[in-house]
Amino acid sequence: MTQSDTRKFSFFLQSAKDVFVFFFSLAKKVRKTKIFFFISFLPVFMAFVVKFSQIFSLARNIEGIYIFNNMIMMFYMQFLILILALFYGTSVSSEELEGKTLTYLTTRPVSKSAIIIGKYLAYTGLVIIMTTLGVVFSFLVLNLNELYELSLYKILLRDVAVLGLGLMCYTAFFTFVGTILKRSIMFGLVFSFGWENVIQYFPGSTQKFTIVHYLKSLLPSPSTGRFSFLLFRLEPSSTGNSVFMLFLITGVFLGLACILFTFKEYIMED
Amino acid sequence: MTAVIQTQNLSKWYGNVLGLSDVTLQIEPGITGILGPNGAGKSTFLKLITGQIKPNIGRVMIHGQNVWNNYAMFAQIGFCPEQDSFYEELTGWQFLTNLLKLHHFSPEDINAKAEIALDIVELTKDKDRVIRSYSRGMRQRLKVGQAIAHDPNIIILDEPLNGLDPLGRRKIIRLIKEYKGEGRMIVVSSHVLPEIEAMTNRIILIHQGKVFAQGDIHYIRDLIETHPHIVSIKCSQSRLLAEKFIGYDYVLKVHFDLQKKSLLVETNNRDKFFSLLPSLFIDNNIEVEEITSPDDNLQAVFDYLIGK
Repeated sequence: MTQSDTRKFSFFLQSAKDVFVFFFSLAKKVRKTKIFFFISFLPVFMAFVVKFSQIFSLARNIEGIYIFNNMIMMFYMQFLILILALFYGTSVSSEELEGKTLTYLTTRPVSKSAIIIGKYLAYTGLVIIMTTLGVVFSFLVLNLNELYELSLYKILLRDVAVLGLGLMCYTAFFTFVGTILKRSIMFGLVFSFGWENVIQYFPGSTQKFTIVHYLKSLLPSPSTGRFSFLLFRLEPSSTGNSVFMLFLITGVFLGLACILFTFKEYIMED
Repeated sequence: MTAVIQTQNLSKWYGNVLGLSDVTLQIEPGITGILGPNGAGKSTFLKLITGQIKPNIGRVMIHGQNVWNNYAMFAQIGFCPEQDSFYEELTGWQFLTNLLKLHHFSPEDINAKAEIALDIVELTKDKDRVIRSYSRGMRQRLKVGQAIAHDPNIIILDEPLNGLDPLGRRKIIRLIKEYKGEGRMIVVSSHVLPEIEAMTNRIILIHQGKVFAQGDIHYIRDLIETHPHIVSIKCSQSRLLAEKFIGYDYVLKVHFDLQKKSLLVETNNRDKFFSLLPSLFIDNNIEVEEITSPDDNLQAVFDYLIGK
């Protein structure tokens, strides 16, 4: 790396940091964030309801960690992180076009790639914070009686890390989708609740074309029990392979988003 | 003088719609006014010279460098877009300081530059209010503020006087003239001739995506003065007034609009005609309700000039 390359790279990092600071503070103020913050806290309310019913001995035999694990798989993995990544990822570029504010950014001495990376990091950081808060509070409420059990915190850390990786990867993918498609939300919904939910159960290597396959591979496999004969089930990849693939997917789609955003012409309709 | 902005055979289409066609220009330092009716291609031209959009044919150079994707150039360029759009949740102060951060100034410089810009556009008092609560004029002034805050040498303003009250307009015009005095280059667009006239003598006339004329504003003034001009007058004694007009050779036609109960007068010398009016009203004790110029806009002048 020459000195000029180093200078260019540090200028790029500085630009991305400035964009990050701008959009992280802006994102905290918008109505969308307040709504999604509320949605990400729904499991906490649910956890309270469950805990109260346990206290009043309606379902005392069900362990808190069992409910928590189901919450992670059903609500967070299959719904919340997809929705958050979809709405924040696509908005990295599309909100600038729809709000006609792109001009303010592209007439500054910052590269278009720095705009994408800075905004991506700001939004990914924000959705990770939102999700983590919801997960931690749900965990605390559901495991109120077992908080002294240190092994439970390992589960919490693992789940938070997996969800964080999921948000990182999905947001990168949807950032790319937002730069290429005008109606990115529609496509994103079909991808999230069609492709990701269906293809993950396809036998053989087909399921490896989903992001959720690598995320679920990082969590313990649910016992198939008497359904072990089923053809359609998760065939997990190794932990190392899954983490590598998640980072690879993130890098590839972010790179593509940067290239596209730099060379594509965006015309804001009057 | 050396041209700062150069365009060669610049053409732009939006699908089948022509935005700009074969524009070759050289813009020198000082103030240059881009004049044309709505939809003429002024904004397309400004978007092309600020690298917002790519030309289909031709090229744009600023200081001999290509503009498209040349982000380093924007340290020296300030652009005020036409569209009234903002990050509405931010305050005026946050909007300016966040944009200044993208110029990599130190925190002290950012604060100082934001203070100065807000002071210039007279928004210091309202800097902590969210932009959503700003009036149209305040929003317009903030747009101008973000274009000048980083102290650029080249300032490009797309319809900067839109939505401003007469006092606000005068202040922005004065500011633009001051910047010229400091040796900066300003390109400003408008569809209102007197606005451009108040800022500069050097104009580029754009119509239907083409440069119709360029040069000294007196040239277009002369063209306009030969354009028959219609004036509508609503008054108490329109027949008496019509009778008085007949004696003047620069009054070409007089007729009555029965629906609007007004007198329509066609003249080929606006200035003389308007200086005649007060004495006619006073001498003949005529009470005037309203005087309007139905075709006092550039579109009418352009239509006349291109022989529509």
